[in-house]
Amino acid sequence: MARMRFLCDVERCIDCGGCVVACKEGNHVPVGINRRTVVTLDEGKPGEKAISVACMHCSDAPCIAVCPVDALYQRDDGIVLVSKKTCIGCGYCFMACPFGAPQFPKGTFFGARGAMDKCTMCAGGPEETFSAEEHKLYGQNRIAEGKVPLCAGMCATKALLAGDADVVADVYRKRVFQRGSGVNAWGWNRAYTKK
Amino acid sequence: MQKRRTSIFLLLFFSITGLTATALAQQPAGFVGLTSSVSSYYQELMQVITGDWQKYGEVFTMLTAEWFRPIFLVVLIGVPLVFALHYLIIGAKHFDHEGEQVLFFSAYNRIVHLIAAVSFSLLVITGLLIIFGAYFGGGAFIRVSRYVHLISALVFAIPGILMFAMWIKDMLPQAHDIKWLFILGGYLSKEKKPVPAGKFNAGQKMYFWFSTLGGGVMAYSGYLIWGFGGSLDTIRLFTIIHNILGMVIVAFYFTHVYMSVFAIAGSLQSIKTGYKPKNEVDILHSRYKY
Amino acid sequence: MTNSLNDIRHAKSMIFIGSNPPEAHPIAMQHILHAKEKNNAPIVVVDPRFTKLAAKGTDYVRVRPGTDAAYMMGLVNAVITNGWEDKDFLSKRVAGFEEMKEVAAHYTPEVVEDITGVPAADVTRVAKLLAMNRPTSLTWCMGGTQHHIGSSIVRAFCILQLVLGNMGKTGGGTNIFRGHDNVQGATDMCILSHSLPAYYGLSDGAWQHWCRVWDVDYDYIKSRFKEKEWMNKKGFTLSRWYEGVIQEDKIHQYTPLKAVFQWGCGPNSNSQYHKVKKAYDMLDLIVVVDPFPTMTAVLGEKDNIYLLPSSSQYETSGSVTSTSRQIQWRHKVVDPVHDSRTDYDIMADLVKRLGFADEFYKNIKQVPEDITRELGRGSLTIGYNGQSPERIKKHMENWHMFDIDDLQAKGGPCDGEYYGMPWPCWSEDHPGTPILYDISKPVMEGGLPFRNRFGSVATYVMSGREEVQLAAKGVCNPGSEEPGGYEEFKDVVPGTNWKTDLSQKTIKEALSKGMAPFGNARARCVVWTFPDQIPIHREPLHSPRPDLIEKYPTYPDKENHYRVDTRYESEQDPELVKEFPYVITTGRMVEHMGAGAETRSNKYLAELQPDMYAEIHPRTANNIGVRNGEMVWIESPEGGKIKVMAKVTERVDDKTIFLPFHYGGMFMGESLSDKYPEGTEPYVVGEPGNIITNYGYDIITQIQTTKDGLCKISRA
Repeated sequence: MARMRFLCDVERCIDCGGCVVACKEGNHVPVGINRRTVVTLDEGKPGEKAISVACMHCSDAPCIAVCPVDALYQRDDGIVLVSKKTCIGCGYCFMACPFGAPQFPKGTFFGARGAMDKCTMCAGGPEETFSAEEHKLYGQNRIAEGKVPLCAGMCATKALLAGDADVVADVYRKRVFQRGSGVNAWGWNRAYTKK
Repeated sequence: MQKRRTSIFLLLFFSITGLTATALAQQPAGFVGLTSSVSSYYQELMQVITGDWQKYGEVFTMLTAEWFRPIFLVVLIGVPLVFALHYLIIGAKHFDHEGEQVLFFSAYNRIVHLIAAVSFSLLVITGLLIIFGAYFGGGAFIRVSRYVHLISALVFAIPGILMFAMWIKDMLPQAHDIKWLFILGGYLSKEKKPVPAGKFNAGQKMYFWFSTLGGGVMAYSGYLIWGFGGSLDTIRLFTIIHNILGMVIVAFYFTHVYMSVFAIAGSLQSIKTGYKPKNEVDILHSRYKY
Repeated sequence: MTNSLNDIRHAKSMIFIGSNPPEAHPIAMQHILHAKEKNNAPIVVVDPRFTKLAAKGTDYVRVRPGTDAAYMMGLVNAVITNGWEDKDFLSKRVAGFEEMKEVAAHYTPEVVEDITGVPAADVTRVAKLLAMNRPTSLTWCMGGTQHHIGSSIVRAFCILQLVLGNMGKTGGGTNIFRGHDNVQGATDMCILSHSLPAYYGLSDGAWQHWCRVWDVDYDYIKSRFKEKEWMNKKGFTLSRWYEGVIQEDKIHQYTPLKAVFQWGCGPNSNSQYHKVKKAYDMLDLIVVVDPFPTMTAVLGEKDNIYLLPSSSQYETSGSVTSTSRQIQWRHKVVDPVHDSRTDYDIMADLVKRLGFADEFYKNIKQVPEDITRELGRGSLTIGYNGQSPERIKKHMENWHMFDIDDLQAKGGPCDGEYYGMPWPCWSEDHPGTPILYDISKPVMEGGLPFRNRFGSVATYVMSGREEVQLAAKGVCNPGSEEPGGYEEFKDVVPGTNWKTDLSQKTIKEALSKGMAPFGNARARCVVWTFPDQIPIHREPLHSPRPDLIEKYPTYPDKENHYRVDTRYESEQDPELVKEFPYVITTGRMVEHMGAGAETRSNKYLAELQPDMYAEIHPRTANNIGVRNGEMVWIESPEGGKIKVMAKVTERVDDKTIFLPFHYGGMFMGESLSDKYPEGTEPYVVGEPGNIITNYGYDIITQIQTTKDGLCKISRA
């Protein structure tokens, strides 16, 4: 089975935030929850760089390992999803995540966190595929429709790649070859190297 | 004089260890000027999005994923098992409850202790529920456990402080406590030989300090974890502290429950009425001046 | 654009001046970065700010705002003095080169350094970089145009490309990125006060041409005007319409303006916006047609405003023209929601009630297809006649068959055609012109020479030299019957030329001979109708360099410039910098669009950019005692002032302050949030940056000078 992965090409990312807005609009994510975010470093100085960051859907995902209620799970295609009905909002996944992916809405009880929300790679959630419930809790299920996630689909410069790991790696490899200079695909070692 | 110096030394030791841990956690992540190389850029990026993952995140993940739950399981099963064996082999200590009685706990002491006992028990139970939440399927039940955990913590804060104030004098460590520890309070023999202990023995004292000062640390770390009130690395460190300290406290909690309910027959009665048999006091709290 | 966004993929080097595509044109970036990666093409970024493009660029050149012409003429001079110019191209396809060379010679690297602040060595280095990596794609945007010498600046850009021989070549060209998906279309329709659609101008001939297209009696149109002379006079411009109301400068019209109609117009993109408010308060009637209430809706004090909610682009359909001159069809996604109505619908009702619906709709039965047909039939100057709605839709349906590199369909129903049939598309059989002035291809396959527009021979005043304006012998498209330069086609149908022959026989005649209807001429470096026949530097009206004002003074004041007297000489005060020491420049951010009425009403975009800010250099910030995130007052010499958040950054230098111009809903320190109609208040309100932009207008086009000006700043 294809292994789904993200890759953000730093040389291509132009810091436009299109991925962030596409994700939020398409999945009706509440304001304040950032399934995806663009981080800019050295803004306004030579060397300024930006990168789009979200859940990387790691192999050996630390979030799954630390979840006390087993709310997180990994599909066969590598996509890591959370069951919002099981999640207790403890925040352990956020502490374990090397990418700052898990997000928590404010709950009502003494500021308790609500169920964790994170990038689903536009693959919905554990609820029945294409059900109203799935759409309400997790947003679109574009993977089931055979489409790429909204963020990558939106990316103007094709900096953000998503899909079958082999294809993504191939596209990136060609680019690196074309540029004649190699830069490691950010986050790939951490996310996808099996320990 | 000697006694006081020992007490101060021991208290200082614990305080400094605690403070150092806090200070280490609060160190700012700090940017390192302009990035020149790709690897230093990625390093800087990690700092921005997720703190120092290598230093704290990885350790947190490793401990949480591989160690905490098994250790809690050991505590949860192992400690009662040891006591069960103790009960079967050595058995409970019986003292004459018909004879002369000594007023050991005032009404005030008993009320404070009752509130503490209830809230503390809830804290332990809900805490364990959260840790083993997966076995209950998570969801609303465990979510409520978290809320109860918070409420219990807030409630326990009151008797916690009061207990600290009313018993601190009797709980200060003494030289004879070390002797008590060497013989494990005499619990390993059926003999009724006076053991070196004042109003509270070394075991009780340890439990006292872990549940009051330790409780303070638990409260503070819990507060930070609850609201993510600090840098991510701080929260990671405090979650580790909360868990490890939690293990110790749970172990002491079980000991305390075993001692009061099983090991010393009628002990539960004395925290209800406030009276202990004179001969029990003479043996188990031989240095207590009543 | 002479070329297309996709064609940038072939560039061997790129220079951007006053353009910031990562924020303003993110889609273009994939082609720019493609050229960078595949061709190893350097990206030279010339800008007063270290923009997000500079972050992706290879060479960043910080120029002082308003000195673009000097920098460009400096590059031209450096190319010529080092012998890097394309001599063959210049001798065969360019006119007035010798005269231009004389003028450019003044701009030595040292002079350029003094004017622009760019180190002399850098001028030569960049000139060499471009010369050694040809073709070069040159892009400018409003950073190049919005100056009082904007028309000279853009001509200097063109001259550089001529000197390097980059015109009419794949990977080269002058590639001006237009705004949203139909700004080029709006320009082509001349939603301006000096021309009828398709650049026909306002002459009697132009009116008669369009009356024939519309099938409306010329005398009827004439009767709509007070007197005939007003038909041929340029009107007020968007930049200065409010002077027609407040009359701070003298106007040349029989009456002040009484009503204003703003249709899809972001009003806070007007410079000296606080003066626009005065006009709002004096007008009898203001009508705003927009999906969201614009700042006009809340700024005025008087009850004289009507808001007509129009639908968005997703709720209607029609043809749109992209920056690459490609025409596309926009299909409707949903029916208009809420109480909104489509622009067509609003227009129809308006026309009906004004009582000329019969004349207006003579050729339009099916909306919007017939509109596209009618405008195509009339817009012969730019070859809009070949793109029928059917052809446009066919292209949309066969998207995937067009090549990403050259835009041509390989096989399939659109075989050989270029995507969107970039204008000019001379006939229903023409494939469109992907690259303007490209003589390597036959005209019928998308090739074109330079247009013959300004006669066949010219005598230059500065040198007394006479020069033939037609292309040299042997310079023509393959298959041309005339093996060299030729004049435009006329009198094929007696009394008409290729632009006015509605039977299109003239165009077909030219095409059948393998020739371009508009002739084959040279591109000219000398424009004898402009005050500066050859581009020169003139100090910004409000300049921070009094010494340079003396050396490079502005123009004399201009009377009746688009119906209003415009100050130049009398406005340029060398003392002004003493009180207003910082240069103000404005620009865009990627999250917001134009005046921001739409984007500030989107919660996610609002979340990403919630505050109006001013970019100030750390040194400036420390000197005025303000920290990042604190508030500052910025004041303009015209009396405008705004209270905004300080964003301390090294994007700008320590003499410059940058403002994004997308914010609205606040005015000189006061929020107008409560004045929006219920439920329409934007998520984000902020001070319009244009309250601070200064007086100053281009000598030819009257575009406002929002990119250079002076201001003062203090801690709030």
